[in-house]
Amino acid sequence: MPLTQEEVEEIRKILGREPTVEELAMFEAQWSEHCSYKSSRLLLKLLPTEGMHVVVGPGRDAPAVRLFKDFAIVFKIESHNHPSAVDPYDGAATGIGGIVRDILTLGAKPVALLDMLYMGEPWDPHANWLIRGIVKGISDYGNRIGVPTVAGDTWFDYAFNTQPLVNVACVGIVPLNRLVLGSIRPGDYIIIMGNATGRDGLLGSSFASKPLAEDTDKEIGAVQVGDPLTEKLLIDALQILVSRRLVKYIKDLGGGGLTTAISETCADHGLGAAIELEKLHIRQKLTPLELLVSESQERMLVVVEPVKLSEVEEILRNYDVMYSVIGRFTEDGVIKVFCNGVKVAEVPAKELARPRAVRRVSHPPAEALKGLKPLYSLPPEPSYEEALTKLLSSPNIASKRWIYEQYDHEVGVRTVVKPGLGDAAVLRLLDGSSRGFAIKGDANPRYTSIDPFNGAANSVAECFRNLVAVGAKPIAIVDELNAGNPEKPEHFWYFEMMLKGLAWMAEELRLPVVGGKVSFYNEDHRGRQVKPTTTIVGVGRVKDVSRAVTMDLKESDSVIAVVGVTYPELGGSEYLYKVFGLEEGEIPRPRPASELRNAKLILKAVELGLVNAVHDISVGGFAVALAEMAILGNLGVEVDLDLVHARGVMRLDELLFSETQARYVVEVKSNRVEEFKRLAQRMGVRISLAGRVLDKPVLILLKGSKTILSADLGLLRDSYNSLEKAIEGGA
Amino acid sequence: MPKIAIVKFPGTNCDEDVKHVLVNVVGLEAEIVWYKEFSVNKWDAIILPGGFSYGDWLRAGAIAARTQAVDELVEARDRGVPVLGICNGFQILVEAGLLPGALLYNDVGRFVCKWIRTVVERPRGPWLALVRDGQVLDMPVAHAEGRYYVDEETYISTLLKSPVLKYLQGFNPNGSIHNVAGVGSEDGVVFGLMPHPERASEELLVPRGFSPGGRVIFESIAHSLKRGW
Repeated sequence: MPLTQEEVEEIRKILGREPTVEELAMFEAQWSEHCSYKSSRLLLKLLPTEGMHVVVGPGRDAPAVRLFKDFAIVFKIESHNHPSAVDPYDGAATGIGGIVRDILTLGAKPVALLDMLYMGEPWDPHANWLIRGIVKGISDYGNRIGVPTVAGDTWFDYAFNTQPLVNVACVGIVPLNRLVLGSIRPGDYIIIMGNATGRDGLLGSSFASKPLAEDTDKEIGAVQVGDPLTEKLLIDALQILVSRRLVKYIKDLGGGGLTTAISETCADHGLGAAIELEKLHIRQKLTPLELLVSESQERMLVVVEPVKLSEVEEILRNYDVMYSVIGRFTEDGVIKVFCNGVKVAEVPAKELARPRAVRRVSHPPAEALKGLKPLYSLPPEPSYEEALTKLLSSPNIASKRWIYEQYDHEVGVRTVVKPGLGDAAVLRLLDGSSRGFAIKGDANPRYTSIDPFNGAANSVAECFRNLVAVGAKPIAIVDELNAGNPEKPEHFWYFEMMLKGLAWMAEELRLPVVGGKVSFYNEDHRGRQVKPTTTIVGVGRVKDVSRAVTMDLKESDSVIAVVGVTYPELGGSEYLYKVFGLEEGEIPRPRPASELRNAKLILKAVELGLVNAVHDISVGGFAVALAEMAILGNLGVEVDLDLVHARGVMRLDELLFSETQARYVVEVKSNRVEEFKRLAQRMGVRISLAGRVLDKPVLILLKGSKTILSADLGLLRDSYNSLEKAIEGGA
Repeated sequence: MPKIAIVKFPGTNCDEDVKHVLVNVVGLEAEIVWYKEFSVNKWDAIILPGGFSYGDWLRAGAIAARTQAVDELVEARDRGVPVLGICNGFQILVEAGLLPGALLYNDVGRFVCKWIRTVVERPRGPWLALVRDGQVLDMPVAHAEGRYYVDEETYISTLLKSPVLKYLQGFNPNGSIHNVAGVGSEDGVVFGLMPHPERASEELLVPRGFSPGGRVIFESIAHSLKRGW
């Protein structure tokens, strides 16, 4: 967003004179919504950010959480929605590049990537082009830098046909005593390492802070182009610099480029800086203004004390990393920028880095009422088999193999639970112990568009359950709030409600929100907001990765148990949309107390080795969860629905397809059933021992003695594996 | 104690993985050597690990194959020092002319990362010393340019006399001719393969239904360096 008249006035006041063009550009970049959070900062204070495991909270480029007593995990989420709408391949690729560099800033080694993609319908030609470009962009970039893409989340929806949401996350690990926390002193050197600066991504953060224009092609110059080879060299060189303790502080040159990196570093340390722009290594001749706000990728700022400069330079040269020493920190708190001896800007760092926060007007639109509408007169129930087949082949449920097979998800030899088999990915630390962590990203754009408060809370809960289902103890989350135009009260209301729902649920589940990102202006060229979406990425601790649990059924004659109680909660469900074309109704209630109680049972059962498989119940409900477990395990299953605990259910489709929270399907080992029962009783958890695993490939649902569904597993598998056809045969 | 060099180019990304298996799984000594510092003298065997050397610019492996480090490899071959190329390492060996054939873009038109099953024909040389003829090895692949191609004449004159790794029927992920997944020099001292044996060397990392088929390759070199081949 270009600066407003009031903002220019304020800049005049700060400087006490007319700003230069370079100064104006610096303020425009830094005061953009993307860099400054000016519309969201006041509300973000609602989030619970503290906790016993938090080592570095929000504020730095990435947070750090204590995973074990000697190891920290550094993880962060980022959106690249606007660039990906214009240039899906480069937009998504540079999203990966940016998030990896955030992780590097604390000295961590990046070991996993996640992609949370909310895209259009595969059969829409434009959306299809976006889908292929986004996935290929992530594939080409992520694979080349040697960081496995291990998990993610996807949603396909007409609302994202022209403006997709591309959220990416990266996880790094670092021994606690190696964290680069930094204490910069005046006189320390500022080195820019990595790519040469060019004329790409000029004021990209400003571009991301306004709605997309009708003719987006004209904005292609604001999209950056990625160079994964340079990123890989940065990763490797930083590992060496950090292990030899040669750098004091590291910062990414992301949105806002050089301006943001320097102003934030100075402001955080109460310092100033003297910069000589002509020393920066460049790709082409640029004006001082362009040098200050270029968002060329794969560049990082490192701070080095004078005595270590020559050693750092030698390492960078040997490892083929371009760099330039562009200035030093000063005591006075003022950033002075020179170019060939001429001063082009002089601004106080604190005022540049922190524009005044704005409290935006917030008002619910009339359509918010659809989330309050009870569902009581649905059309008659369809054939259950047909409904189940339809759901399994829905791109929102079908196997995401077409996507994750394009990602190297194994490089690093850490990936123990791989994509497609577990509710979350599980990685080992590879430090000689059996310790590791689980990681997963989640959102449900339909929920948050119908009921932003409860929808956001359910995103937190689903992420929590996914971590628990593989046997991990959730310890922290980061969030990405994708919202509409903050200047429109009816868009801003969704943002505000999502944030409040997230804050409430995170507090209830005792999950600190250690970092996050806000993306505004996600609207199409007609000014309609895309579905507002709350994406959550969570990390869980795994003490012994060899005990991690996947969802595929393992052996016949074991027992199927449903953990939790089912309510008639079809509002906002995939079933309601796929079968009746409805997107309305009360969405499933968040149930934090049940979540905590039921998770405890699952974790204990995994620890005691009572279970073969666990799967959380989410989109598609119980029937879909059960079918997925059978398909992946290639084993049949028979369940009596009369035995499944439910409350207030009037029709069978409510039992089969409601997306009631806090539930899991568990395969209990046949000789451990009594133990499992007693454990649940002791913990006060409602379980239903409702069926068993068969050695023939068929899924059977009974109601007492009556068979209501008997489907061949092969046919269900074909539906479940239909995403490739939907995309490749799509447009 | 024999020592193995793992040669790292800009963009190589499986160097630490290979080192982990050599050191922690089969108990060998191994070091990651930056391509500028690599010379053949100090080493008993050499591995070119996977990754994207020089970002796959031009063609996978094409630029690395024209570095000084590869001249050293030619000398290694001439001296009979065992050389293994994995994935991008295989691409480099083929580009450098140390192994026959070419590796083209996958027929599916995209990168593929999945577990597959291979079978070994005519095992010979230090890398396959402990492998039986016809033994099935499970491993994952992860590549975009892995479709092996060789003309029929060379196939008959060379490959049919050399150790070859083939995808089992139904597991060819890229359209390779004659299902070729890996190929060696006639004596097997130089060997290259697209699948990643280092990812298939520990039970913990193997998905249900497969077994750790890569480990025997590293056990073979450990055995060979101690007892000959």
